[in-house]
Amino acid sequence: MEVTLLKVTVVVYLLATASFIVYVVLLKEFFARLSPLILLGGFIIHTSALAVHFIQTGYPAIMQFREALSFYTWLMVGIYLLVQLKYRLAVLGCFIGPLAFIMSLAAFAFAAGREEIPPALKTYWLPLHVTLAFLGNAVFALAFGVSLMYLLQEYQLKSKKMPSLYERFPSLETLDRLNYLFLVWGFPLMTLGIITGSMWAGVHWGKYWSWDPRQISSAVTWLLYGTLLQGRIAAGWHGKKAAVLTIVGFAVVLGYFLWGDYLFPSRHGGRFE
Amino acid sequence: MQKEIIIVGLNHRTAPVEVREKVAFESSLLADSLKRVCSLPSIQEGVIVSTCNRVEVIVAASDGETAARELKGFLAEQEYPEGHGGLDSHLYTYTADAAVRHLFRVAASLDSMVVGEPQILGQIKDYYFAAHEAGTVGTILHRLFHRSFTVAKRVRTETGIASRAVSVSSVAVDLARRIFDRLDDKTVMLIGAGKMGGLVARHLQGSGVSSLMVTNRTFERAVELAAEFRGNPIRFEDYPRYLTLADLIIGCTSAPEMLLERDSVERVLRERKRKAMFFIDLGDRRNFDPRIHELDNAYLYNLDDLEGVARENLKGRKAEVHKAEEIVGEEVTAFLRWLESLDQVPTIIALRQRLEEIRKREMEKSLGTGLKELSERQREALEDMTAAMINKILHAPITHLKRQGRDEDEAVYIEALKKLFDLGEK
Repeated sequence: MEVTLLKVTVVVYLLATASFIVYVVLLKEFFARLSPLILLGGFIIHTSALAVHFIQTGYPAIMQFREALSFYTWLMVGIYLLVQLKYRLAVLGCFIGPLAFIMSLAAFAFAAGREEIPPALKTYWLPLHVTLAFLGNAVFALAFGVSLMYLLQEYQLKSKKMPSLYERFPSLETLDRLNYLFLVWGFPLMTLGIITGSMWAGVHWGKYWSWDPRQISSAVTWLLYGTLLQGRIAAGWHGKKAAVLTIVGFAVVLGYFLWGDYLFPSRHGGRFE
Repeated sequence: MQKEIIIVGLNHRTAPVEVREKVAFESSLLADSLKRVCSLPSIQEGVIVSTCNRVEVIVAASDGETAARELKGFLAEQEYPEGHGGLDSHLYTYTADAAVRHLFRVAASLDSMVVGEPQILGQIKDYYFAAHEAGTVGTILHRLFHRSFTVAKRVRTETGIASRAVSVSSVAVDLARRIFDRLDDKTVMLIGAGKMGGLVARHLQGSGVSSLMVTNRTFERAVELAAEFRGNPIRFEDYPRYLTLADLIIGCTSAPEMLLERDSVERVLRERKRKAMFFIDLGDRRNFDPRIHELDNAYLYNLDDLEGVARENLKGRKAEVHKAEEIVGEEVTAFLRWLESLDQVPTIIALRQRLEEIRKREMEKSLGTGLKELSERQREALEDMTAAMINKILHAPITHLKRQGRDEDEAVYIEALKKLFDLGEK
C-alpha cells in the first residue's frame, strides 16, 4: 500500500515537472495554474503514503535513508505550495518540480534497510529533530531555487540579451526579497534542528557533541547560512553575493545528505550502533 | 435576401498621412455619417472606424458590387487634399470572406503599423459602440464585431504577439520591472531636457513611478521641466548629492563630457547599501561611464542597447504572426458558416423538409414490405441513394433562388414554390 502510493507520487511529480516545463517553454498562463495543482495532487498522495506508514508502524517514516529522502521531499513540496499560495511563483516550481521528482525517485534506489528500530531510539526527540532539520533544509531548497533564478535574471540584464524563455521570471528585487525570507525562516529551523539533535544525542549517546561527521557538516552549513544572514542584516549584502552564497550552502547540504554517509560513515543515516 | 460584408477604406500603407487626416471622420459628425451610410440603397448595416492610421467603412449589404461603388462615392464626399491623385487610388475594397478576414486581422493588431500594439482593439470597440448607439448595427455586424473582439483576445492570449515591448520607452519600463518588483516606491532622477528622456520619464510615471527629481544645467529650465512632470527641481551642482535617493537615473543631456564615472557610482552604491540602480543613458554622447554596468547591482543601458532589445522583440513578434493568422483563419471559417446558415430562406428550408418527409415515408413503406429482405448494408446504400437524389433535384432550384434572391421577382418565385409543393405558412 505505502509503496504503491509512493510510486504513484513519483509519477505525479513527474507529470507536474512536465507541466512546469511546458509552462516555461510555451508561457501559457493555463499551465501556470495547472502545474501547482498537479504538484498538490502529488503532495496529497505523498501525505497519505506517510500517514499509512505511521498507522502501520506507529512511527514516522524517517528511520531509513530512503524514508528520510522521501520525507524531505514531502516537506519541500509542502513549503513550495504554501509559498505558491501567496506569491504565485509558478517559475519557482520549475526548480522544485524536477527536484521533487528526482529525490522521490532516488528514494527507491536505496535498499530498504532493517525495519526494526532499536527500542532506545523510539522517542519523540528523534522525529522532532529530523522534522526540524529537514524543514530548515527544505526552506533552503526554495532559497536555492530563487537564487538560481536571480543569477539567470541578473545574467540576462548584464549581457543585455533577453530570450523569451525567462520572460516570466520575477524581478531581481522580488527574488532577492524571497531569498531573505527563506533565509530568515530556514536558519532558525536549522538551528532548532541542531539543538534538538544534540539534546537527543545527549540523552541516548551520553554526549551532546561527539564530532560525528554529520554534526560537523551541519555546523559548517549553519555557520555559512548564519554568516549570510548576518551579512544581509548588518552589512546589507544583496543580490548576487547573497544568491551565490545561498547556492553554495545548499550544495553542501544536499551533497552531504546524498553522499556524506558513504564518504564518512556516521551514526546518522540509519546506523545507530 | 443574402447579405454580404463589404469593407472600403484606406490605411497607413495605402495612403499618406495628409490624405488619412482629411478623409478621417470627425467624432461629432459620426452619428450623422453613420446614418448617411445606412441610407445608401444597398446597405443595411454600417460601422465606421476612423483612427489616425486607418479610415474604414464596414457594412452589411444586399448587393456587394453596388455597395462597394456606393461606399466609394460616400468616402469621396469627405474632404480630400489636392495633389494626391484620385481618392480611388488609395482605397481598398474587401468583400465576403476577405472582408471578414480583414476586420479580424485589424482587431487582432496584425494589420497595424507596429504589429501587436494594443490600442486598435479599444478603438474598434469604441467605434462599434458608437454605431450601436446610432442604431446602424444589425444582426450581422453585431455578430461580426463581437467575433472580432474574441479573435483579438485569442490572439493576445494564445500567441506572444503583444507580450514584448517594442519602443525605447516601453523597453526601459520593461527592464525596470525586471530589476524592481514595484515602481510606485521608486525615485527617478531626470538629468537634462532631451526629448527622449522626457518620453521615458513619462512612461515610467505612467507605470506607477510617483517620485521624480529633475535637474538641468540652467535651473530655470529644471523648474519648468519639474512643473511639466510634477517633479522636484534640483540645482545641477547639487544633483550628485541626491543620487543616493535615485533608483532610476535618466541621462539626456548633450554634454560632451561624462556626467557620472564608475567610481562615483560605486561610492553612491555603497551609501545605498547596494540597493539596485538602473541607469538609462539617452545622451547624444555618453552621459554615463559604460563601466558602471560592470558594478554589482548597477545596470546601465544606453539608447543603442534599448533599441537593440526593441528590435529583437519586434522580430519575436513577427515570428508569432503565423500563429495569429491561423487563429484568424479558423474564426473566419466559423463566421462564414454562421453567415451561410442565415442565408437559408425559410422557404428553402421548408421545401427541403417536405421532400425529406416524403423520402422517409416512402423508404419506410418499401422497407416494410417489398424490400424486407435487404441486408443492413443494402439498406444503407438505399438511404444514401435516395438522399442524393433529393439533393440533386433541389440543387438547381435552390441556386436559382439564391441568385434571384436580390431581385424583385423573389416574391413571385417563393410564392410559386409554396403553391407547387403545398408548403403553406407555418
